[in-house]
Amino acid sequence: MQRPVFKAPGTPVEELDTPALVVDLDRLDSNIETLHSFFRDRESTVRPHVGCHRCPAIARRQLAVVGTAGGIAVNTVGEAESFAHHGFNDISIASQVASPPKIARVCALARDRTITVACDSPVVAGLLSDAAVAAGVVLRVVVDVHTRLERGGVEPGRHAVDLALAIENAPGLRFVGLMTYEGAIFVEDAEELETESGRCIQLVLDTREAVEREGIEVEVVSVGGTYNYEIAGAMSGVTEVQAGSYALMDYRYAQYCPQFQQAARVMCTVTSHVEPGKALTDAGEKSIGSDGGPPVVDGLPGVTGTGGSAEHGHLALEGAAQSTLSPGDKVWFIPQDLGTCFNIYDYVYATRAGRLEAVWPIAARGLYR
Amino acid sequence: METYRPSVGTSVQELETPCLLVDLDALESNFELVAQTYAGTVCKMRQHGKNIKSPVVALKQIRAGGTMGGVCSAKVSEAEVMVEGGVEDILITNQIVTRDKIARACALAKQADVKVAVDDARNVHDLSSMATELGATLGIVIEVDTSMGRGGVRSPAAGVELARLATDLPGLVFKGVMSHQTLQGGSGDRANREAIGRKFIQICLDVRNAIEDAGIPVEIVSSGESFTYDIAPEMEGVTEVQGGTYALMAHGHAMSGDFQVAGKILASVVSASRPGIAVGDVGYRALTSPTRLPALEGLPGVRVDSLQEDHVVLRSDGDMPLSPGDRFVLLPAVQDTMVNRWDQFVAVRNDVVEAVWDISARGCVH
Repeated sequence: MQRPVFKAPGTPVEELDTPALVVDLDRLDSNIETLHSFFRDRESTVRPHVGCHRCPAIARRQLAVVGTAGGIAVNTVGEAESFAHHGFNDISIASQVASPPKIARVCALARDRTITVACDSPVVAGLLSDAAVAAGVVLRVVVDVHTRLERGGVEPGRHAVDLALAIENAPGLRFVGLMTYEGAIFVEDAEELETESGRCIQLVLDTREAVEREGIEVEVVSVGGTYNYEIAGAMSGVTEVQAGSYALMDYRYAQYCPQFQQAARVMCTVTSHVEPGKALTDAGEKSIGSDGGPPVVDGLPGVTGTGGSAEHGHLALEGAAQSTLSPGDKVWFIPQDLGTCFNIYDYVYATRAGRLEAVWPIAARGLYR
Repeated sequence: METYRPSVGTSVQELETPCLLVDLDALESNFELVAQTYAGTVCKMRQHGKNIKSPVVALKQIRAGGTMGGVCSAKVSEAEVMVEGGVEDILITNQIVTRDKIARACALAKQADVKVAVDDARNVHDLSSMATELGATLGIVIEVDTSMGRGGVRSPAAGVELARLATDLPGLVFKGVMSHQTLQGGSGDRANREAIGRKFIQICLDVRNAIEDAGIPVEIVSSGESFTYDIAPEMEGVTEVQGGTYALMAHGHAMSGDFQVAGKILASVVSASRPGIAVGDVGYRALTSPTRLPALEGLPGVRVDSLQEDHVVLRSDGDMPLSPGDRFVLLPAVQDTMVNRWDQFVAVRNDVVEAVWDISARGCVH
């Protein structure tokens, strides 16, 4: 568990103990408004995927703005439990859950709230059914359809229809629809993004029709993400888009989604400046997470991040920065991958206009199981 | 916040996954090798706590032997956890520069023997002022840059100047010098390790010699790491070695011939819907670095294909022997930063849980 020195609300952000994960509330709210307003008068909705921040306070802000499905998506049962504990009553577990102890936990959650779980196997559907019957609950199940990313999912068309039928007929289960996680499509060309997104989502929509031809109602079609929400959300038959990254927007996503602002950064302190052209900070891999590449220094002329080691951030200095930057000075980093960054912090500081407004626990940090 | 805590005696096959396991036989073998290597040497091991983040594990090495009785910590908050866990001698291997943290280091120095690394004169003055204000005595170790281009003085003269300052200022006790170096991607064969290790550690010893020549006694020369664990103690003047990686040892590491992989990830298959492919329930959020893939323990013919945020993709050229619910064990290619993403070590022997240890300094980056 992290042990920062906590400061009172109102404290200027530069006085926070570093390394500090800081969210700018104005930017966060602006990002939420930007994406959610797209869904204002549409059939489709956004179901915020909270795996990229794991923070109930941020999720609550997302659900407070129009355009949502009324619930969230998570990746693990542990995340679902944590958010349920924090009062969230509609949670989709957008991954397969295959082991009996975990399925029992899903059933326990489903007793008092709307829980939906993804499935891509008739064998696992059998396990879900047995557990739901034993627990006396009805589990909502979506068929996970493979479209692009190699992460499981049943083949679209006949295989998916067969699984939908099996689920619909299994006691304790209710088939509610289809999902796919096509994976982030990082292309700059808008036409290519539209073609590839459309191709993946159409596979799911065709499967929807095939399921409906069997006389089974499809309530949910959950697809897409931050990078293609305007494409996914406009396709008839899509009911929800599982977008997550839009709320905070990290560096690697930003160039593909210029309408969003980078709302979360890591503030660190210069700890050593022995050579003119080099300095060190107190924020290395363990304070930022470099899974998506080295973080980028924000708005400090002549100062460039050159990567880091486990405990240190490395800076290259040019021009005036060589003589002006001293131990104790603050430097801001924009992480490449905020999902990783939030998963190593226990707290995030919410700030507005440069002052601390709240300290939010990242309650579902590290809940991999 | 983690709420799952398996009970002692649970079979590995019944553990919730994913799970960070410590293979006790491997860990004890690693600790025993250090105990034997340092049994008759003047130089001793000062295990680096940043790799294990648990005083329980640190004390296990101290009890096994070969150490000088204390540990290194990367950060002040990490040092606090070690002291609370019963470790009494801490070397903080980084510069502590903010007022908040200097105050914490000084407060901790009233409860244990605490030393911090320095490379800057103004910082030494700041440490002295706070130590004096709080009535503490802080040990000072000068960091020497030998090859990393990180923190540390760049010349013997700069080292002498700081040593003199630390000796003269109130609230401080000058203790010695330290350095850290890496194998720079080279092989783990003895000749290569020895050439690199001796060359760089000598730079640290040169600073020590210059300080002694200036009439200031040097009690500590803290240098060397896992790749020089058997080389640094043979170098006259090195008093302690900062080994960290050796404890849990990563798969594919240059020293994995001497030390065994003791930190492992137990995972389960959640999907095997496509031919030749199985998807497991752990990804790079928990393992770090999507490009440094872990290896599978056992399971010939199956390999780790890729890591996603929360999933691992396994691939087989023939039939995939794994089905949903099946367990498998990954040998991580990275341990240090990976441990920092877990709250618990589940210590196992012969596939049965023998202990559960909180990784109580997890996330202690302050």
